[in-house]
Amino acid sequence: MDAFLQGLAMVFNVQTMLVIVAASVFGLFVGAIPGLTATMAVALLVPITFYMDATPAIAAIVATSAMAIFAGDIPGTYLNIPGTPASAAYVGESYRLAQKGRARETLGTNLLCSVFGGLFGTLVLVFVSPSLAEMALNFSSFEYFWLALLGLSSSIFIAIGSRVKAFLSLTVGLLLSTVGLDMMSGAPRFTFGVPDLMAGVNFIPVMIGMFALNEIMMFYGSRAEARQVPIASTDSVFRKAPGHLKTYWRNMLRGSSLGTLIGALPGAGADIAAWIAYALGKSRSKEKEKYGTGHIEGIVDASSANNSGISGAWVPALVFGIPGDTITAIVIGVLYMKGMNPGPTIFMNGGGQVYALFTVFFVANLIMLPIGYLAIRASKVFILTPRKMLMPVILSFCIVGAFAINNSITDIWIMLVIGMVAFVLARNDFPMAPAILGLVLGSTLENSFMSSMLKSNGDLLAFFERPISAGLGALVILIWLLPSLIRLFRRRRSAPQPSHKPRSS
Amino acid sequence: MRDFLLGLAFLIGGGVVIAVAQTYPTMPSLQFGPSLFPSLIGGGMVIGGLVLALTRVGQLRSALAGPRSQAASYDYRGLLISLLPCALIVFYILTSEFLGALPCMALGMLILMLIRGAKPWLAVMVSIIVAAAIYLLFSRYLLIPLPEGILPPQNLLAW
Repeated sequence: MDAFLQGLAMVFNVQTMLVIVAASVFGLFVGAIPGLTATMAVALLVPITFYMDATPAIAAIVATSAMAIFAGDIPGTYLNIPGTPASAAYVGESYRLAQKGRARETLGTNLLCSVFGGLFGTLVLVFVSPSLAEMALNFSSFEYFWLALLGLSSSIFIAIGSRVKAFLSLTVGLLLSTVGLDMMSGAPRFTFGVPDLMAGVNFIPVMIGMFALNEIMMFYGSRAEARQVPIASTDSVFRKAPGHLKTYWRNMLRGSSLGTLIGALPGAGADIAAWIAYALGKSRSKEKEKYGTGHIEGIVDASSANNSGISGAWVPALVFGIPGDTITAIVIGVLYMKGMNPGPTIFMNGGGQVYALFTVFFVANLIMLPIGYLAIRASKVFILTPRKMLMPVILSFCIVGAFAINNSITDIWIMLVIGMVAFVLARNDFPMAPAILGLVLGSTLENSFMSSMLKSNGDLLAFFERPISAGLGALVILIWLLPSLIRLFRRRRSAPQPSHKPRSS
Repeated sequence: MRDFLLGLAFLIGGGVVIAVAQTYPTMPSLQFGPSLFPSLIGGGMVIGGLVLALTRVGQLRSALAGPRSQAASYDYRGLLISLLPCALIVFYILTSEFLGALPCMALGMLILMLIRGAKPWLAVMVSIIVAAAIYLLFSRYLLIPLPEGILPPQNLLAW
């Protein structure tokens, strides 16, 4: 009880509450401006959170990401351009609703669904993580090896688009994770005589390069500057929204549970959660024909799913130190730097810190209601903010932010090189999430493998000797074989058809 | 075409990674050491790059056999402009010690704003105000030792 009260006190103080409000407004701006993603918002925020205590630092990240995901719906509704990739799934639906003069009603429903989804994901985080952590206390290097491999494998198989490209993207991240002194032997690897690289590549400049510099380069490479708001909206934000939620409460619940689950899978974040929830919602709907014409049901599933995905991604990040999405990949770095090493012990030794973290999630999601309401009323301000003025400002933040981590010019070089590589890869449809996961999980994978091999005197079969380790190993192998099995299954199902046809005719 | 070239780049990159990894020492108690993971990653890059390049050979052949309109329509100007932020970062790295972080940031922002057609007076005003705000936030509030430069105006602004 003491720890709980201590946790509440860590959140309900002026500094943390101000940070949550400021971070929400920052998330709102970044999310509502097309081309700026929630991950980019968090990457840019990290250098500033360095100088905060652990609770306000985490509060800033949680509030920014939750708000940015909702705010992505604002330009989606008015301009048909999703503010963040997580809003892309249902942007057509909300834009058509806006064309019918229901923009505010749509955004009001989006907001309530986002809050519900976020709270649902938080409840799962609160109730599931401690029990998972108890189980994880028995894990050794063998289980962590398989968990890391599981995370990396699912990041490839869940990725949208080419799996070969996802795999190559992963190798880039893994390669970056090997830079620096080898943990077992102390031998320097890929340091090229640069002393700053001895400690490895710091993830924050990499994140800034991958998600901010890459976007800035994309912006200057294109000529898009969408800036007209053709739709006038005078409808009420919340008058009809509760009615929609009452009608579609099943969709909201389904979207939230699906979003939490997908969010918890490594490599799959809010965007994939939204796509799958939209598709599932459509397939289970009684009014399928209305989908795509501006149907409010079409936004309920996905809008709940993307926000619950954000909370769900924290479950594996906190319990195992395995990020559920790109945002939690950054969070893991921040947690380490704040002395809150992710893993099961965080729930045992954390004291009030864990309760503070849970409370932050509730507060950040609830504060979305008033701030989101004001944002909907003042939507035009965000949409009309010209990117030609904003992008240069973001570039300056990138430079100073990358430098601020270690006060080192090398980090600016790292950001620059990674940004250019990410630009080339992203322009050619390589997904970025596997690279981030590779960077974050690379050292866990290698260190757990090496220490397991030392324990077992080089016997590879030891990875299958412990029951949980064997189970996880089997799961990884199943994931690897799954595409071939699905292909085989489809071929077998489609093969008998030609022979059946003549018989039936 | 670009996928084919990227596949080749990964193939070559993977080969280099493997070659560099072979120079790392092995651990006495095991047959492998710090070279194992980089070698596996390099191997993955080689195989993945090869698969990517080979699956695009067909497209490459048809692109080379067909009219060259696609290559001609490629937006090289856009690509060059997209490299401008990188050039400005290099400019910052090379000159900030001498010019100071504040004027370097202001100049970079001004160039980027003007190139996308912002009004000159607005661009000048915004870039100076924002550069000063970022400089103050990081150097005064967060105590980051941003380069102050050696030019007198910079020192004046910093104070």
